[in-house]
Amino acid sequence: MKKFNITVNGSAYEVEVEEVGGAVSSAPKAAPVAAPKAAPVAAPKAAPVAAPKAAPVAAGAEVISAPMPGKVLSVNCKAGDAVKSGDVLMILEAMKMQNEIMAPADGTVSEVRVTAGQNVATGDAMIVM
Amino acid sequence: MSTQEKIEKMLKKSEVIMAAGGEARVKKQHDAGKMTARERIACLLDEGSFVELDRFVQHRCTNFGQEKKQLPGEGVTTGYGTVDGRLVYVFAQDFTVEGGSLGEMHAGKIVKVQRLALKMGAPCIGLNDSGGARIQEAIDALAGYGKIFFENTIASGVVPQISAIMGPSAGGAVYSPAITDFIYMVKNTAKMFITGPAVVKSVTGEEVTQEALGGAMTHNSKSGVAHFAAENDEDCLTQIRYLLSFLPSNNMESAPVVETGDDPMRTDDALNTLLPDNANQPYDMYDVIKSLVDNGEYYESQKYFATNIVTCFARMDGSTVGIIANQPKVMAGCLDINASDKGARFIRFCDAFNIPLLNLVDVPGFLPGTNQEYGGIIRHGAKMLYAYSEATVPKITLVTRKAYGGSYLAMCSQDLGADQVIAWPTAEIAVMGPSGAANIIFRKDPNVAEKTAEYIENFATPYQAAIRGMVDIVIEPKNSRPTIINALQMLESKRESRPAKRHGNIPL
Repeated sequence: MKKFNITVNGSAYEVEVEEVGGAVSSAPKAAPVAAPKAAPVAAPKAAPVAAPKAAPVAAGAEVISAPMPGKVLSVNCKAGDAVKSGDVLMILEAMKMQNEIMAPADGTVSEVRVTAGQNVATGDAMIVM
Repeated sequence: MSTQEKIEKMLKKSEVIMAAGGEARVKKQHDAGKMTARERIACLLDEGSFVELDRFVQHRCTNFGQEKKQLPGEGVTTGYGTVDGRLVYVFAQDFTVEGGSLGEMHAGKIVKVQRLALKMGAPCIGLNDSGGARIQEAIDALAGYGKIFFENTIASGVVPQISAIMGPSAGGAVYSPAITDFIYMVKNTAKMFITGPAVVKSVTGEEVTQEALGGAMTHNSKSGVAHFAAENDEDCLTQIRYLLSFLPSNNMESAPVVETGDDPMRTDDALNTLLPDNANQPYDMYDVIKSLVDNGEYYESQKYFATNIVTCFARMDGSTVGIIANQPKVMAGCLDINASDKGARFIRFCDAFNIPLLNLVDVPGFLPGTNQEYGGIIRHGAKMLYAYSEATVPKITLVTRKAYGGSYLAMCSQDLGADQVIAWPTAEIAVMGPSGAANIIFRKDPNVAEKTAEYIENFATPYQAAIRGMVDIVIEPKNSRPTIINALQMLESKRESRPAKRHGNIPL
């Protein structure tokens, strides 16, 4: 925890800055100079949002997320399936179209996070490879 | 000094400059998989056609001991030559000389060929491979960039400007390519970013590699900054020659007509069976494009970006057309922010250079969602409407299937000035999707299902539009190619003008 006195438009503020995680040594130096206002607000907000989403996905895994909001019509794969690039993994009905969601590369499906009938929003993770 | 001695002196001076950064640096360039500036120019132009300008230009910087440095050719080779016998201007930055860094005189050499290209009405091609500004030259280098941007802008829409990124291009240097019409990036060697990974890390804490931040595929697929990706230098230069074959040399000319040997009257029965009976099932719009154009040959711009819309050059009966097509296979072919930007920019390029537009329509609508609305789909989608309305080149629209609501207009309906609107019998031209519309109209009706089916039967067709004359011709799909070529021939004499103005104000 570091304390800074910051004056904005003549008003003085005492700001506490906590370093989250093992940031590089240059960061604390740059922060108070570059973005004294943004730092205390942004830091605590950013951390909890990013963490839960990113955490469960193993490094190197490919997440297939919904390209647009729609309804899952059918899922053609299950965890453990070996798939080839271009294989249709599932059908997402959106924009009056049965969109084929295809494997972006050869690999193995490690997790299917959706079921038929489920609604998804843009960016929702549907399949992990 | 005798005449012979003077000639020898000239040759010797030339030799030093031709050696560029010296053997060691040239070897390093080759080891990195890159050609030298001169090798690139030789590869791009017709053999023996290159005429070099400003070979003996030198910098005049005296800061930090720069006056003691000789920089062969000022780190850039410039001049003119021909591609398929047609005049082009070219500059190639030389990474072996001071990292291809840009100083006052380096910029001066580039600006000279830019002005010549404009005056002569010939394409200007920039081969970029530079570490950035030559810091020792301070604001003189900065001013050099400014002059290049200015000339880029003045020449925009007058002569085609093509940029190839064949090495680093960082900071201000990226904006000259960004103003030009097309950007090529060579895989593995090309990098473009405003600030490199080190600065990104110190400011935002993000750790990112150069390749992930600004590599060829990043800009070809994610950012949409680049239009073409190349495997290596040679592939890149060959592709530029290919692109030029589709383009006129300037805005007063038409694109070259090529004898392609493909019968303009050729019909294709496969088109009659291409569309699935279920309108909610996708098909591949590339199959339609390949069937329509000469020999199935087309050259796609931004192939990896916003793939829900396809933009490509092709020939029909030997003449260049610019094709803008919805791709039902990707995101249902809807228009979103990126697709609108991609489509509108391509339309404006074609209009600037007298290339007729062929619009292949199968569009369910604009993509709904908060990230689209917050991202400004309204002002981005408006670009499509603006670009089509503004365009005075021949505009032909072929509706293969869906054409709903605002997106129907945004794909160049007759109201936006399409000169000929052609529809397949499978076309569904309507104010909105049939089930949604029926739900509103028959909301309180006990027989909703029955009425909806009736509505689809009557309204999800091309005939409501045809009754009003908004569709000119309804055709059997197999006859598409001859019908379009006939329309293109009919439109050759098209003359349309817009009111005099300084310039329009396209929503950006």
